[in-house]
Amino acid sequence: MKCKRCRRAEAAVDLPSHHSAFCPDCFFVFFQRQVKEGIRKFRLLAPEDRVLVCVSGGKDSLVLWDVLMELGYETEGLYIDLGIDGYSERSKEKVLAYAASRGKTPIVVELAREGIPIPEAARCARMEECSVCGTVKRYFFNRVAAEGKFTVVATGHNLDDEAARLLGNLLHWHRDHLSRQHPFLPDAGEGLVRKVKPLWRVSELETASYGFLKGIDYVTEECPMSEDATSLVYKEALSRIEDQMPGTRTVFYQGFLDPGNPLRRAPEAQLREGGGKEREGAGTVEAGTPRACASCGAPTFAEVCSFCRLRERVQKRREQRAGRASG
Amino acid sequence: MLPMILVRLTQKKQEFEVPGPRRVMDILAQAGVRPTTVIVAQGKKLLTKDHRVEDGETIDVISVVSGG
Repeated sequence: MKCKRCRRAEAAVDLPSHHSAFCPDCFFVFFQRQVKEGIRKFRLLAPEDRVLVCVSGGKDSLVLWDVLMELGYETEGLYIDLGIDGYSERSKEKVLAYAASRGKTPIVVELAREGIPIPEAARCARMEECSVCGTVKRYFFNRVAAEGKFTVVATGHNLDDEAARLLGNLLHWHRDHLSRQHPFLPDAGEGLVRKVKPLWRVSELETASYGFLKGIDYVTEECPMSEDATSLVYKEALSRIEDQMPGTRTVFYQGFLDPGNPLRRAPEAQLREGGGKEREGAGTVEAGTPRACASCGAPTFAEVCSFCRLRERVQKRREQRAGRASG
Repeated sequence: MLPMILVRLTQKKQEFEVPGPRRVMDILAQAGVRPTTVIVAQGKKLLTKDHRVEDGETIDVISVVSGG
């Protein structure tokens, strides 16, 4: 099959959802255009932004970092070592090797050093690992961004991730989550920095192809904590549909983002209504107004931020265990 | 014994052989792998799903699905 763009070279990536196939060079052009269009459409980034790119060692985040550098943005990588035996070491190696190949040194946060490695924290707090991981990551995204004077935090969520999340939210009629789901979460002030998902237009197959063709060595194993993640069930369902009807995933998610869709509100409206991701139920103060956490000073919509409440639960549990062991 | 196509499923650390020549999409169907969930590589090259693989060649099937 010949490349549909240059019509000369042999195609390497076929994309039925775009009725197209590209050789490596033309695929890079296509991919970068998709990301640029995603950024332009919702004004995710400005040329003067300092972008903190959250990298896990997986394909999406490393590809995001790569493409943002290619597009000329000022970026730094943030790697959070989750403290998961084996997996965290291997992912960190990939991040460090990629960063070194681009003359970068990522910012590294080690959760074991912070006293809150994910497996132990989840056991102590009796919570799902993915839920604990989300709380902890959001906390450090904000903290590192504030300390490093970054104007925006970028994550590698792609079209498949967002479409799967949308399907899950629809199936359970999570109206509140639906209203907030967007590639752009505005700056809420008080250290709650803007969050963006510049890969929202590109599929997992496209990011994997880009990573492979660029020679980006990413971790291919799955996080052992996410084996039972429900998002995989939704992805599976969507990919079955996509196989039969190419392009459906794109239509599904892009249609949801249509400004006229009554299921969701504009990002600015969410903010006015206190719909930021970090908004919490218990102890909520004035809607839409973040304040300093009474414990750590981090921005929160509650009296005490969810990270501090989690850390407190973990600490209490540790003390109970230590008490039982010594008694 | 005649050489066949060696198919390696990288994440699962499994491999099997099929007689060639055969298109990538047919190999995937035989392995029960949906084409939108993988990329298929031969060395440093990516193969399109209609690419014909010959006996004696090796291909890697790499899952693109990430969870969490």
